[in-house]
Amino acid sequence: MSAPAPDVHDKIVVSGFRHFFDTADGSVQATDTVDVRIRAGEFVTLVGPSGCGKTTLLKAIAGFIRPTEGTIHCDGNLVRAPGRERGVVFQELAILPWRTVRKNIGHGLEIAGVRRAERAQTVSRLIELTGLVGFEDRYPHELSGGMRQRVAVARTWAADPDVILMDEPFAAVDAMTRLTLQEELARLCAATNKTVFFITHSVDEAVFLGDRVLVMTRRPGRIKAVIEVPRRARGGRNWESFTADPQMQGIAEQVLRLVRAERGAGPANEEKPARAAGATT
Amino acid sequence: MSATAAPTGVRPRPGSELSALALAGLWRMVRWLKILVPFAVLVAVWWAIKASGDFPDNILVSPLQAWRTFVHLVSHGVMAEYASTSLTMIGISALISTSIGVPIGFAVGVNRYAAHSLEGFLRFLQGISGIAWLPLAIIWFGFSHTTTLVIVIYTLIVPIVFNTMIGVRAIPENYVLALRSLGAGRMRLVTDVYLPGALPSIVVGLRLGMGYGWRALIAAEMLVRKGGLGDLIFGARTFGQIDRIIVGMITIGCLYIVVDRLLVQPIENVTIARWGLLRK
Repeated sequence: MSAPAPDVHDKIVVSGFRHFFDTADGSVQATDTVDVRIRAGEFVTLVGPSGCGKTTLLKAIAGFIRPTEGTIHCDGNLVRAPGRERGVVFQELAILPWRTVRKNIGHGLEIAGVRRAERAQTVSRLIELTGLVGFEDRYPHELSGGMRQRVAVARTWAADPDVILMDEPFAAVDAMTRLTLQEELARLCAATNKTVFFITHSVDEAVFLGDRVLVMTRRPGRIKAVIEVPRRARGGRNWESFTADPQMQGIAEQVLRLVRAERGAGPANEEKPARAAGATT
Repeated sequence: MSATAAPTGVRPRPGSELSALALAGLWRMVRWLKILVPFAVLVAVWWAIKASGDFPDNILVSPLQAWRTFVHLVSHGVMAEYASTSLTMIGISALISTSIGVPIGFAVGVNRYAAHSLEGFLRFLQGISGIAWLPLAIIWFGFSHTTTLVIVIYTLIVPIVFNTMIGVRAIPENYVLALRSLGAGRMRLVTDVYLPGALPSIVVGLRLGMGYGWRALIAAEMLVRKGGLGDLIFGARTFGQIDRIIVGMITIGCLYIVVDRLLVQPIENVTIARWGLLRK
């Protein structure tokens, strides 16, 4: 695989990863051999058709599943189980309905045994950063889908992990809110310098957010291309300048062609990884 | 986000506030009346039957007579004695079966294989009502409170175990995964995810169980004859005291409503309703 030079500091190293699922009809191959290196502070996006095994890869990095073959290292340590240094943001159904916004965001710190005063400080800062001021004592069912995802993101950031794994975190919110959330995430990442691994099936999202975009083939997935996205500046990204930038549009089209080549070739590939229509606003 | 606060621009005219308050009060009254209508109909029909036919008092008494008997039983402390026995029994049973049933339901719920293998068995037990255990229980424990307790606890515990198990299994996997990646251990998962997550279902189980348990309790008391409302109405049969039987039955129904409203509903209101998890 076209991995980066070995002399840079790799935060996450996936080598020779291959995964099979046991089902009632026997073993099903989820991914082909995958090798990925993610540098510290890098924002890597992974785009691919649904069912290509991208979530499987993320779950393995998170430590939720053990790979059938290959190894995953985080900071040189073999990943065997979930850990505080690897935070996860799910697509939906992740924040707890019986906790208020404040209690959800502070949950990781509470588990870590951080003192109440210190916890309150961190939580307040994140509530401000994620635009949740005024909703601190609401329960999740009183919030919109977009705000619930803000809480999920804030909860993960509050626990201060080195690595953040995001599994289509904005797929379930409406198109308009999604644009805002993507911009906010870019700003948050720039402000906190986290290593992020972000899964999506939206080409625009992948190019907009990623420092590097990995393109996966259909199942059993492997990395078929790696595209560097040159950034003039960390942060300060917004959709208006992104859509007006011919270089960015060129990259997006290149990625789109790569992803589209995977469509229809496989059996029953319903979902089309097309460019998000909302990006033209 | 849709704010639920009233629009601030509109100021109500003085006086309209008062009439609004009166209107709200009226609505509340109408709601209460709606609940009371079926009861009124029942009493009316009962009265009509008593008045139209030529029923002697050892077949059917009038509502007025039943009321007099009720007042008599209450003022002489008889009702309090029988009712408190029943309430104590159901209270003890609810406590014991919750503290045994919830942990069992948990243990079974978190283990997929145990859940599968126990589902059939629990349904089998559901089929054997508490009353069906009475012959055995009487042989083993005699005509005692122990027999009654065993029957009621058994009746309560099956729906509690069953619903706790279902509640635990219905918790989204992401809740658990998210917490594990925040560093949560097994105990944390139980207190922060499994317990609150299963609570709506546990309350449903408790509510069902209280309904079944209350009926089983009355039946057991009728046979065991060691106090309680079941004893009251079955004892009255021996002397053909129709008024006592009817008053006892009405009390049984009323107390069940009180138990349900005073015990189970408050739990629902402070937890599940606030979390937006109430299944309507």
